[in-house]
Amino acid sequence: MSRKPGGGGGGLPAISTEDMCPVCKTIRYLNKDMEFLINPECYHSMCSNCVNRLFNDGPNQCPYAGCHRTLRRKGFRSAFFGDLSVEREVDIRRRVAAVFNQAEDDFETLRDYNNYLQMVEDLTFDLVSGGDAQRRAAEATLGQWEAEHKADIERNRKAGREADEQSRRRLAAERDAARQRRVEALREAEEEKLERVRSREAELDSLAQGETGAGGGAQRVQLKRRGHAAANRAVEAAVNTATAAADVGRLSIRGLKEKKKAPAPEGPYDPFGGMDFVPSRYKVHEGLSHPSIEKYKVDPGHITGGYNFDEYTTRAMFEAFAGLGVFIEDEKEVGIGLSAGEVATISAGIAAVGDSMELD
Amino acid sequence: MAVSNGGTGTGTGTGTPRLLLLDPIEQLNEDEKRKYIKGKKLGEGTYANVYLGHSRRDPSLLVAIKKIKVQQQYQDGMAPDAVRELKYLRELHHPNIISLLSVFSSKDQNLNLVLEYLPLGDLEMLIRDVDRVRYGAGDIKAWMGMLTRAVWFCHDNFVLHRDIKPNNLLIAADGEVKLADFGLARGFADPGRRMTANVITRWYRPPELLFGARHYGGAVDVWSVGMVFAELIIRAPFLAGNTEVEQIALICRQIGTPTEDNWPGVTQLREYTVPSEAVAVWGKEAYMGRFGAVGADGVDLLVRTVALDPKKRITAREMLEHRWWRTDPKPTKKEDLPRKSGGGEEKMGADLKRRPGMLEDESNSRGAKVARKLDFGQAK
Repeated sequence: MSRKPGGGGGGLPAISTEDMCPVCKTIRYLNKDMEFLINPECYHSMCSNCVNRLFNDGPNQCPYAGCHRTLRRKGFRSAFFGDLSVEREVDIRRRVAAVFNQAEDDFETLRDYNNYLQMVEDLTFDLVSGGDAQRRAAEATLGQWEAEHKADIERNRKAGREADEQSRRRLAAERDAARQRRVEALREAEEEKLERVRSREAELDSLAQGETGAGGGAQRVQLKRRGHAAANRAVEAAVNTATAAADVGRLSIRGLKEKKKAPAPEGPYDPFGGMDFVPSRYKVHEGLSHPSIEKYKVDPGHITGGYNFDEYTTRAMFEAFAGLGVFIEDEKEVGIGLSAGEVATISAGIAAVGDSMELD
Repeated sequence: MAVSNGGTGTGTGTGTPRLLLLDPIEQLNEDEKRKYIKGKKLGEGTYANVYLGHSRRDPSLLVAIKKIKVQQQYQDGMAPDAVRELKYLRELHHPNIISLLSVFSSKDQNLNLVLEYLPLGDLEMLIRDVDRVRYGAGDIKAWMGMLTRAVWFCHDNFVLHRDIKPNNLLIAADGEVKLADFGLARGFADPGRRMTANVITRWYRPPELLFGARHYGGAVDVWSVGMVFAELIIRAPFLAGNTEVEQIALICRQIGTPTEDNWPGVTQLREYTVPSEAVAVWGKEAYMGRFGAVGADGVDLLVRTVALDPKKRITAREMLEHRWWRTDPKPTKKEDLPRKSGGGEEKMGADLKRRPGMLEDESNSRGAKVARKLDFGQAK
């Protein structure tokens, strides 16, 4: 405030850039309705007349010396901030925020979220005040992220919109409730007044009839009733607010759930749960046999009971190949609750005893 | 090593602190034991006690510790069911099979199995609670998928479970069904080696075991899976016989009488006895009325799992290849499956402490039944 008179004290009032179009040099004195427009391509401001003159016939170069950007009529708008660098930063931030729109809930830990915020801020800084190379790199990162996470971004945007909608609804509900309360209070006061009048009349009546004792009783009853009514109302109000609170709580929880429900692309159901035990080192042919089991193959006890000889041959083959290509060194870490040494001893034990472990 | 062993030998009499001189095996056991902290008791039975516990390193990692009691009959060694359970759970690692985290022995040589903690009870609880739990075809498909995968995994690793029933299908916190209780499991037998026919809880026991077959294969588990499937649909045990004879009669009535025509050689089985009036094997249409909720394809799968002749019965792998899994409705995602809140941990305690298999059979059948009833009450 003290600076202004000081600046103005230097003789002729300087024509501030705000009042003169840098392109056509028109000053506000000549054109009261002069309006300055900028284009977010280069943020060079000019008056609306210049914009119309230069760009009405299609895209053209920016009239500023040294600026070779091609501008279009459509891109011009009036600046919100007086300082155009602020205007530019806000635009950039808006653009970045539209792409990096993850919420805290999307991250497993707070630390992850903070790291993410840091990353976004670094990128924004590069865009706003970085050198040419940095800006280009940041631009590339932004574009890449946008392309790769299109679905995510869209989902978050939708969620954000929903959250806005919800908070608006909640606010409206609160306002509504407040109004309701006011109306209620008014009505209550009215009622009380009415009641008072009525009881007074009753009192007068009773006095007129000359039954003083009964009149006092009536008043007491009246008072009691009033107290009762007030208590009733209080309980009702409490219940109402409780349900309202529950309603609000449920709303927000539902929102959370919806956010959590990632639209995971669901493949067809795999009954096997992604497992497959086809042996890799050999192939089991059907009808494999061994002379020692031939006699059982014709034994009615085996046949009728459902004993499966193919299962036997599969197992025999499996056991014959078991342990091949297994290296104890690799397995040491895998044992369940066993020290490496124990695994080694057990494996060695199995190796020493052979298949007899299986044949109980 | 040898020196320290010698030290123990001479030192015990004079009261040298034994802790310092544990032999390596005992030391290993002690280390394993110290990894877990035993908490409150979830259930107590004649066969085992079940405790809730947690890992010492990560208190949020809950476990169930099944402490198997020393039994009168097997004082000189470990009870065979404990050995079976240990042996197979150590080997099998699958999302649908309860995982054994560790084993250690506590004082008195009690065997402690550290199992993953499954807090949501079992399938039986959900099937029985008709009033409060509702589920549909998609849910049945999801549960059956998990069960069948578990059985297929066992069979592909040459293990027969031999006690599949809703009681033994526990539910993890995320809704995943896990096959538990391997107390009757065994590996596939070699030809000529006899196995006992007295396995699998009666209601889920296939006809070949009821007829006393001593050489059988994975088909016995498949029949049990079929019974669980039927039970999931009608929400009551499908064939609930009180005795083995009654069980056979029920099978004959509801599925068909096993004869030489539909099961060659069946009359030669040791305990082959069927009611005099023969019932022809029911076709698919007969099941549609009662089990139609799972659609024609589901009924087709059910009928194949309850084929009388084990040779004609579908295998676990073929079950998974069945077209039912690919038809609508899709199996429900496990986190969306119906669940029951409360009673889960007691239920896990009750399930794990139970003696495997045939508890409702044999001489103390009455007592066992009463106990089961009490269990139901507790779960509600």
